[in-house]
Amino acid sequence: MTEQHILRAFDRDLEAIQEMVMRMGGMVETAILQAAEALEARDEDLAAKVRAADKAIDALEEKINEEAARLIALRAPAASDLRTVLTVMKIAASLERVGDYAKNMAKRANVLGHMAAIPGAGGSLRRMARAVVQMLSDALDAYNTRDVALAGDVRNRDRDVDQMYNALFREFLTHMMEDPRNITACMHLHFIAKNVERMGDHATTIAEQVIYLVTGALPEETRPKAESVTTIGIEGK
Amino acid sequence: MTGTDIMDDMRPAGTATAAAVAKIAARNVQVFYGETHAIRDVSIDIGDRTVTAFIGPSGCGKSTFLRCLNRMNDTIAGARVEGRITLDGEDIYDRRVDPVQLRARVGMVFQKPNPFPKSIYDNVAYGPKIHGLARNRAELDVIVEASLRKAALWAEVKDRLSAPGTGLSGGQQQRLCIARAIATSPEVLLMDEPCSALDPIATAQVEELIDEIRTQFSVVIVTHSMQQAARVSRRTAFFHLGHLVEYGETSQIFTNPRDPRTESYITGRIG
Repeated sequence: MTEQHILRAFDRDLEAIQEMVMRMGGMVETAILQAAEALEARDEDLAAKVRAADKAIDALEEKINEEAARLIALRAPAASDLRTVLTVMKIAASLERVGDYAKNMAKRANVLGHMAAIPGAGGSLRRMARAVVQMLSDALDAYNTRDVALAGDVRNRDRDVDQMYNALFREFLTHMMEDPRNITACMHLHFIAKNVERMGDHATTIAEQVIYLVTGALPEETRPKAESVTTIGIEGK
Repeated sequence: MTGTDIMDDMRPAGTATAAAVAKIAARNVQVFYGETHAIRDVSIDIGDRTVTAFIGPSGCGKSTFLRCLNRMNDTIAGARVEGRITLDGEDIYDRRVDPVQLRARVGMVFQKPNPFPKSIYDNVAYGPKIHGLARNRAELDVIVEASLRKAALWAEVKDRLSAPGTGLSGGQQQRLCIARAIATSPEVLLMDEPCSALDPIATAQVEELIDEIRTQFSVVIVTHSMQQAARVSRRTAFFHLGHLVEYGETSQIFTNPRDPRTESYITGRIG
């Protein structure tokens, strides 16, 4: 909706709250990339930085929720204005979770720094993290420009991330079977992979919020899905 | 009447649609005031025992259209109504229809409370008397009490029924006018901005009243307060420049209107 409100303070409030979400998105993207880099480069300082930065992300989410509540109470938003406020709150919640996963990755990166490296794992996880950051960044761009097509594209890309996770799952399993001394490191790496995969789910959620914001309805559940590793271990898999 | 269909009425409507039974059906209605074309080709079905809100900016035609529904426009010189409006399938503009009888079936409450300069009792008893709805004083007493009870005013006035209606507070006067309107047992109650002269408490009382009486009548309310429309109605019609732009479930109109003009209006972008 490009038209201005008659009451221009309403426009300023809505813009401010969306600007905060974009800022939060930027912080979260940085956290993921830095956590992945810290993991691959075994950089403890960078990992510490990611952990410290998460406080600011949490604080921003709280501020967004406060502003959203104030806007609902004072401005009684309707139609697309209401959807804007609702989606802002949901997106902020998703970003906050993603921020937590990045912080968790940074913590585990520290632990892994003191263990024998699993060959190839750091690089694979970093590629997966980059794919997720691209999804997040596109989902937020789609939000900014109300681009339903781009949001749909982000949804479809979640399958790629799921496939990367499945591949890593099998790889870590193999390492653990080959040498039990790898188990501790591989367990940590597996949690990281799982968390990055969850980040992709949150990026998908954000993309779906864009679709809701623009069309007023959530998309049908028809996006492509990767084969699940949930059943691995059952005979013949 | 069964309780359940009525009870569902005020809940967020979800996907349930319509106005199961059209109490009033308007087709291709045009209204002219002299040269001015005030209502342009409006067709709408208004459900029975449900609250329908008309919203729109000043001069959009919502009050004009409301006044067509009980032929109040007949009283305005130079006003001309075209098209067809039926009440239970009967054309209300048919030559054989007596507008006075029609208005007993389709009551009206106005923006400003306008009690007659008579006692509280007489204000309510007036309609039933002239329409011969009571054979004697005892029957009239019953109607007056029942109407004042339905209008949630009985407890406040039962000890001073002979006091002038004009001596009541604004909110009480408006509820007295509602009691007067429902004393003739109308089938439809038209309300033209019934709360615009009332404070928030009196407004809440009238809204509570609307919520009660919708189980018995079809209520059509014109309001400038979009929040009021959202609070009290099940279906909302948005008028703009004499056109009926959009008509749908209130929850849909306020969360996801289909027409950009509706969107602009309810989000405060056009006046």
